[in-house]
Amino acid sequence: MSPSSPSFAVEFDEINQEIVLRGTMRVRSPEEMTDATDLIRRSFGHGGHLVYVNIKRLTHLNMTAFRCIADVLTEACLADPQRRIVIVASSVIAWSAPLFETLASAQPNLSVEIYDSAFYPGQTFVEDESFIPILRTQTKMTWRHEREILPRHGMKEGMAIADICCGIGDFATLIKRQFNPTRLIALDHSKKSLEYARRVAAEFGLNSIEYTYGDASQMLLADNQFDFVTCRHSLQIFDRPDILLRELYRICKPGGRVYITNEKNSHCLGEPHSESIRWTYDEVAKLFSHFDMDVEMGPKSRRLLTDAGFDTIKVESFMVTNLDGDPRDFADVIEAWENVYAGQMAVRRGDSPDFIRRFRQGFKDHVLAALHPKGYAGWPIWAASGRKPF
Amino acid sequence: MIERQVSPEPGAFEQMASLTLDTALFRSEFHLCDRVSEYLADIVAQSHEDPARYANFSSQLINEMIEFSFRSAVPTGQIDFRLLKNEERVRVSIEFAPVSDHQPDWLANDTSAIANGHPAVGDLWGLADAIRVNLHTEEHKENHVTLMADFALLEAVR
Repeated sequence: MSPSSPSFAVEFDEINQEIVLRGTMRVRSPEEMTDATDLIRRSFGHGGHLVYVNIKRLTHLNMTAFRCIADVLTEACLADPQRRIVIVASSVIAWSAPLFETLASAQPNLSVEIYDSAFYPGQTFVEDESFIPILRTQTKMTWRHEREILPRHGMKEGMAIADICCGIGDFATLIKRQFNPTRLIALDHSKKSLEYARRVAAEFGLNSIEYTYGDASQMLLADNQFDFVTCRHSLQIFDRPDILLRELYRICKPGGRVYITNEKNSHCLGEPHSESIRWTYDEVAKLFSHFDMDVEMGPKSRRLLTDAGFDTIKVESFMVTNLDGDPRDFADVIEAWENVYAGQMAVRRGDSPDFIRRFRQGFKDHVLAALHPKGYAGWPIWAASGRKPF
Repeated sequence: MIERQVSPEPGAFEQMASLTLDTALFRSEFHLCDRVSEYLADIVAQSHEDPARYANFSSQLINEMIEFSFRSAVPTGQIDFRLLKNEERVRVSIEFAPVSDHQPDWLANDTSAIANGHPAVGDLWGLADAIRVNLHTEEHKENHVTLMADFALLEAVR
């Protein structure tokens, strides 16, 4: 079932010259579209010679609404033939590009582009295929803690569960084995990760996990469907965690719980060389902040869940350390962080070679701490959940 | 019986599900179009690799068919929603009695109907063409018509 709240919004982002349409547009009559089409019309008045119409998060549209949008777009095309209008669609919504292309075929200054990046700031880093092995190792390390933590937050056998931003789906397979849900859906915005997830699940004989390609901030899942919704290490890489939380809230059943995990990177620690390690992870937090991501989010979980409307909030933290299992696993994870943070993100930010050299040293010291026979290395994570009120 | 856009029949269709509503009740609440279309789309998509996405895709046309019947059906009698399948396709069919002045439009299975003052018909066929789903109609005795759309049983949307 689709969202049962047929709501939509139209906004104009003047800086990006972008008209953004989102939500469910199934109107009974064209009159219900008047405010929206007026705003679109006014936006074209303020826009320049290139205007984007972003329909990436327009999940449902009936032809009554489409006809209204088509009329105003056609009018704008004819009013200024020099103006270029680019409709930006997403491949998540399979009908939208073909439908809007019917307009492009009639108007030479209107085009449709399918654009699947820039859904969230960390996308280019996180959806890189080279990240897959490290995600797997990270889950292996955190699962030792989370399999004990999850029941305290209400996860139990026989639930309908959604794992949003599931990545390579390894957490979902662990949930399937440990808690045997009646329904388990796992959503992510990386096709490569989902291909991997489906392959692994098939190899393990776990055929009942529904993997779905989607945008976590505008999901194609109905309201009030799941007893337990998980979203791990993902709010922190969205620039608008409130929007994502609103979606998690929407799909959760009243009385169900939403469970989130987030980090506080500046609290990563190690001995020996604690100062070098601390400096580097302070810089990690600043680096993410530069790209509109907040890897200091962990302790903010309670506020975020409260502001999103949840009650009976539970928060706890745990430390993944080199004493959990094989320390080489932890060292591998730290080395992968170094490759992405120092090797890609700092370079993209334009940091100097001297900075990057010092930045890398902290990771190397953290690896040393993890592998040292007397050393200690830690990675703190906050697990929090809230109940959706009845 | 008149059939539009006839496609090869790989095999007989078997009934999967059906829903019959009193037309007056159905027409009393526009929101029912959305509810019924999402219900049917979820069943259409259940055998797909990515059910959530295919349900969203198929609901786009199913909803339009249902809205069309909402606007076209006489407010008496019943409206039947059926899901049928064979080894290749899932068929969504809606049978109802249209008001008489809508009838000529059943023959206009293209977007020229918009120019003739019946945008709903043209939009329905235009949408089916755009998203490449086979849509066809049958007219029966007693002034009943059936709208049918055939969706792939397994193929994933790209």
